[in-house]
Amino acid sequence: MNVSPGWWRRWAVKLAQHAVWVLPGAQSPWVEAMRRELDYIEDDRAALRWAVGCVFASYKARLAGLPRIRGRVGRGAVLQHAATSGALMLVVGLALLENAGGQTEPPRPVFDETTCDRPDLSPDIDPILSSGTVSVPRDIDHSAPKPDTSCADRIAPIAFPPKYRKP
Amino acid sequence: MSRKPNNSRQTRALLATLLDRSQTWRHGYDLAKETGLKSGTLYPLLIRLSEQGLLESRWQEAERPGLPPRHVYRLTASGRALAREQELAAIAAERAGALA
Repeated sequence: MNVSPGWWRRWAVKLAQHAVWVLPGAQSPWVEAMRRELDYIEDDRAALRWAVGCVFASYKARLAGLPRIRGRVGRGAVLQHAATSGALMLVVGLALLENAGGQTEPPRPVFDETTCDRPDLSPDIDPILSSGTVSVPRDIDHSAPKPDTSCADRIAPIAFPPKYRKP
Repeated sequence: MSRKPNNSRQTRALLATLLDRSQTWRHGYDLAKETGLKSGTLYPLLIRLSEQGLLESRWQEAERPGLPPRHVYRLTASGRALAREQELAAIAAERAGALA
C-alpha cells in the first residue's frame, strides 16, 4: 500500500484535535501540551503514535475526572462515547487506507496518429482532402491482426462527370 | 488491601528519570523517549503527580521561531523526596534479593 508521507501527520493532527475536544475544562492544558509536542516530533509515524496516546490519555483523564455521584451512568456514557468515537475513527481510517493506494487516475488509452495511404484522388478534390489519420490505441492486443491502414476499403478514384471537370 | 500509591513500575521509572536531572525542566516527548512510556501512559501519570503536588509544570517558549511553547515538567521538593525514597527502596530490595 502506498501512503503519502503527509498522511500519517494529517491523521496525527486530527487525532490530537479530537483529544483536545474530549478533554475541555481544567485539564485542557495537559492535552494542549500533548498536542503541541506533535510539532516537535519529526517522524510522522511517531507523531501518529503519540497522537493515539493523546486520545487515550484524554479519555482516561475524562473518566477519572467524572464526579462520583454520577457513578456508573456517567462513566457508561463516557465509555459509550469513547467506543463510538473510536469505532468511527477506525472505520474512517480503514476507508482512507483502502483508498489511499488507488488515488491515481485509471490509465487512459494513448493513441498513435498513423497516417494512412492516401487514395488515388481526383485532382479536383485533392486540395480539400490533404491527408487522413487513423487513431490506434497503443495498448492494443498485438496478437490480434493489425488494423488496416492502407485505406484499401476506400473507393478508388472518383470519376466526376465531364461537366464538372476542369477544362 | 490498599495499593501503595505511586509504586507502579511506570511511575517509578518516571520518578527516577525526573530525579536524574531534577533541576532541569523536561519535555513530555523527551520523557517518553527516556522512560519508554507511551504518551497515553505518561500524561495520566504526569497529571496525577502534579495533582499530588509532586510535579510542577510551566509553559516554556520555543527555542526556534515558528514553534509553539512547550509544557515542561520537573519534580517539586516533595517529589524529589519521594523519588529518592523509592530509589533507596529499590536498592534495598535489590540487595535483599542478592543475599537471599
